Amino acid sequence: MLDFFQAVSDGVLFGATYALIGIGFTLVFGVMHKINMAYAAASVGGAYAGLLVLQVMAGAPPWVVFSCAFLAGGLLGWMVYVTCFHFIPLSSPLAPLMSTVGMLLLIDEVIVHLTAGMPQAYPALFDDVMLSMGEFTLRGDLMLVFGVSVLAMIALLLLLYRTRLGLATRAVAQQPVAAQLCGIRLARVNVLTFVVTGLLGGLAGALVGASVGTLSPLLTVPLTIKGLIVTVIGGLGSIPGAIVAGLLVGGFENVLQLYRGVTERDLYVMLLLFAFLIFRPAGLFAPRGGH
Amino acid sequence: MDFYFGLAQLIGVHTLLGLSAYIVLLTGQVSLAQAGFFAVGAYVAGMLTVLAGWHIVPALGVSAMSGAAVACAVGFPALRVKGLMLVIATLAFGEGVRLFFFNFDYQIAKGEIQVGPLGGEGFRQIRFFPENGWETWEVMYFIWAIVIAAMALLWWFDRSRYGTVLRAVGEDELAAQSVGINLTAVKVSAMTVGGAIAGVGGGLYAHYTTHIEHLSFNILLATFAIAYPIVGGLRSVFGTLLAVIFVQGFLVEGLRFLGDWRNLLFGALIVLAMNLRPEGILGGRRRA
Amino acid sequence: MKKLALAVSLALAAGMAHAQTIKIAGFGAKSGVVRSFGINSEAALLAAADVINKAGGVKLADGSKAKMVVEFYDDRCNAEEGISVIRRIAGTDAVVAVGPTCSNVAEPLFGILQKKAGDAGDSGLQMPVFTDVAIKVGLAKISEWAFRNVPNEMTMYNSLFYWLRTQHPGLKTVYGGVEEDFAHSRATWYIVMKTRAEASGYEVLGTSKWLLADSNFATQVREMKKANADIIALSAHPFTTCGVLKEMQRQGVKPKLLVGLTSSSSLETLQGCPKQAEGIIIPTSFAPINKEANFAAKSTAKFKGAADLHSMAAWENMFILKNVMEAEGISGKPGDVQADRRKIRDGLARLKTTQGLMGVTKRDAEREADKPYLFVHAKKGEWKVLYNPL
Repeated sequence: MLDFFQAVSDGVLFGATYALIGIGFTLVFGVMHKINMAYAAASVGGAYAGLLVLQVMAGAPPWVVFSCAFLAGGLLGWMVYVTCFHFIPLSSPLAPLMSTVGMLLLIDEVIVHLTAGMPQAYPALFDDVMLSMGEFTLRGDLMLVFGVSVLAMIALLLLLYRTRLGLATRAVAQQPVAAQLCGIRLARVNVLTFVVTGLLGGLAGALVGASVGTLSPLLTVPLTIKGLIVTVIGGLGSIPGAIVAGLLVGGFENVLQLYRGVTERDLYVMLLLFAFLIFRPAGLFAPRGGH
Repeated sequence: MDFYFGLAQLIGVHTLLGLSAYIVLLTGQVSLAQAGFFAVGAYVAGMLTVLAGWHIVPALGVSAMSGAAVACAVGFPALRVKGLMLVIATLAFGEGVRLFFFNFDYQIAKGEIQVGPLGGEGFRQIRFFPENGWETWEVMYFIWAIVIAAMALLWWFDRSRYGTVLRAVGEDELAAQSVGINLTAVKVSAMTVGGAIAGVGGGLYAHYTTHIEHLSFNILLATFAIAYPIVGGLRSVFGTLLAVIFVQGFLVEGLRFLGDWRNLLFGALIVLAMNLRPEGILGGRRRA
Repeated sequence: MKKLALAVSLALAAGMAHAQTIKIAGFGAKSGVVRSFGINSEAALLAAADVINKAGGVKLADGSKAKMVVEFYDDRCNAEEGISVIRRIAGTDAVVAVGPTCSNVAEPLFGILQKKAGDAGDSGLQMPVFTDVAIKVGLAKISEWAFRNVPNEMTMYNSLFYWLRTQHPGLKTVYGGVEEDFAHSRATWYIVMKTRAEASGYEVLGTSKWLLADSNFATQVREMKKANADIIALSAHPFTTCGVLKEMQRQGVKPKLLVGLTSSSSLETLQGCPKQAEGIIIPTSFAPINKEANFAAKSTAKFKGAADLHSMAAWENMFILKNVMEAEGISGKPGDVQADRRKIRDGLARLKTTQGLMGVTKRDAEREADKPYLFVHAKKGEWKVLYNPL
């Protein structure tokens, strides 16, 4: 029985990483209605860029690396917008899907070229902190990741619902033409929202790197898939939904791994997704407002 | 010369993969499940020729039917999800198929060795072509005969009422429904045809690589499947063919002389292509 | 006039003799997580060719000397592309191909080669392939045109567990960790490590499993903690090995000994988790412990590659091929490419031993190698020799 609870808590804690990356995904896909397949790659790319700090200042404290990753993520977010969305007319919805796939491949290759594909050790915060209650243990660094997710959620909800940029973003997502008629500059709003989600992505990438302990190009595709699954289960556009879904998926997959083994684990995650698509297609928290 | 025959084989099989996504894309469904149907076709054809000793032609027939059957089964639930959700659902299905084969063992003894798929180890020694003395150019002709048949079928669909109906559904479901088009029949039938084509493509893939494993049918392959019709444009089947030649012929093999830059240019040129021609190389809408 | 014509033709002949080249094609992965393998193999091949050429080159059947020219192709660790590459190589005048890096490319690639050399009914490709890196057990027997110079993990782990038994008689139990979805690691645990540990008298308490790209090992390490084995053996590549080691540190799992997978005895593990990997013991077929090995490492470094068990196999391959070419008397003329390929294949098949950097390598009837090996362990961010059975 203890095994079960331990597996649940291990999984839920690791799910905090899915939650953090899921928030960005749900913003991009759900609020902006843009299919950005390069989001996780840009986040991991931001994390790698954070390592450049260590090249210049060996032994720099982790928060400096994370800040650099944060900023690099924003820059990459802007680049993805310019190369994949700015010049493509809204009437061609499939083209951005493909161009972001191209960006994902490009970012992956750049990472591989610069690091020769080798795993890079990532600085961690509290990675040896283990809270224990007898036999039962909880990872401290993942609780930090969860804390950051909650903070990010609060910050983003404030941004979306209490600022003009947030209002403009929601307007553009719902009715781009009407929004322009109201004087909202489409390009500027898009750039800013991509940069904001990119900043979050860079931070998410850095924290994922810190939790895993090493950065590798192997991380990009699984994170993309998890991000997409979490977005759907949580509800497209719902930030609290993304967090809950991330924790849920993390816990679920770990429990199934305990009982059914690692080769069948991902199959069950897919079945969970299908269950949601059939029985609750709007996700856990249907977003308020919007389409 | 052998190299060009081999490249032509590869382009042929990838064209089949692209065509299977093309017909589904016409109805407005972005399906990342084609690699899953491809995988089903590959394992079925491989098992029939290796374990049951069948000839390749009936084996491919059965793999087409199994691809179609699985696709039909997917087509119905797919009706309930739209847009991004469908993309994710089909991606999850494709991964599910891959994970199924990751866990699938079916071996029989042939002589002193065990043959057949063995889970994570894969399915090795699918050697129908070399064992029966097929030369590279003969395999190429065989593959292209099938590709041309598939292209002809889809070309004929495009010029017939069925094609117009498909595109009508793709353009505006509500309008299509309001003129009496049965959405279910159209979308599921397109998915089924796509599944059949992918099944044959998969069967051919298994035989010309001689060894398949679950990792061969990953998300990257699923993405390539829809990349071909999107980059090529939905105006006609030739768009898909051109896109396959562009990606596999030019980007992969043609740019080899650039050495390391080739890999970097791969993603960059796809981004560029989508910016320059967002409707695809041959363009999107058919005018009349 | 006659004297002038004679002089000109002699000069031309001399010029042509100097321009004689023998083309070797290298191929491997220069993309993705295995990019470093391709870079190192290419560097080793170029370095070896450089050394051989500086010493005069390869002696051809007609007595003249030819320079070795290496061209390297990137197959991106993709089966279809690997097949395309070998067909492309077969269409050039390269007489032999050295590669591939990835076992999942090697298996299909060997599958399209002619199964039995000279079988008129088999239309498979007739190109000798001499593998440097792809290490999954038992691949060369797929085709008589496939040869490998990779370490025999069965022998190495057999020797390692036996030696550990003698060095640490108090340790009795082993627990395994394996990447289930990667053919090489999976085969090495079940077929090699587990059986060899049991053969040396260890009790294998169990196995924890994960996937190649996994990053959460909490459950698996808990299983390890519970089993409390003396030795933990990890059949995994650097990314997940580092992940598991970090989780072990977190949960306070400290086995008496750690054993790792051959492929992880490279720079990657030390770059990813130097602290956690401290003390891990890995059997390997290369360490810079003698003059030849150091020379090979230095030469490869000149071409911007690192020397490890994989790239040094490529280096050895070049010298083995030179000897085979000279022993079989290849012509090097453009019209004799296929005949030369057949000669090289037959020559490689005839070899019973080859000279490796660590000592004499035995070759068996299934065209695999039995390389001399030694045990290294990670100490302070470097691989140091733990025990050299030679």
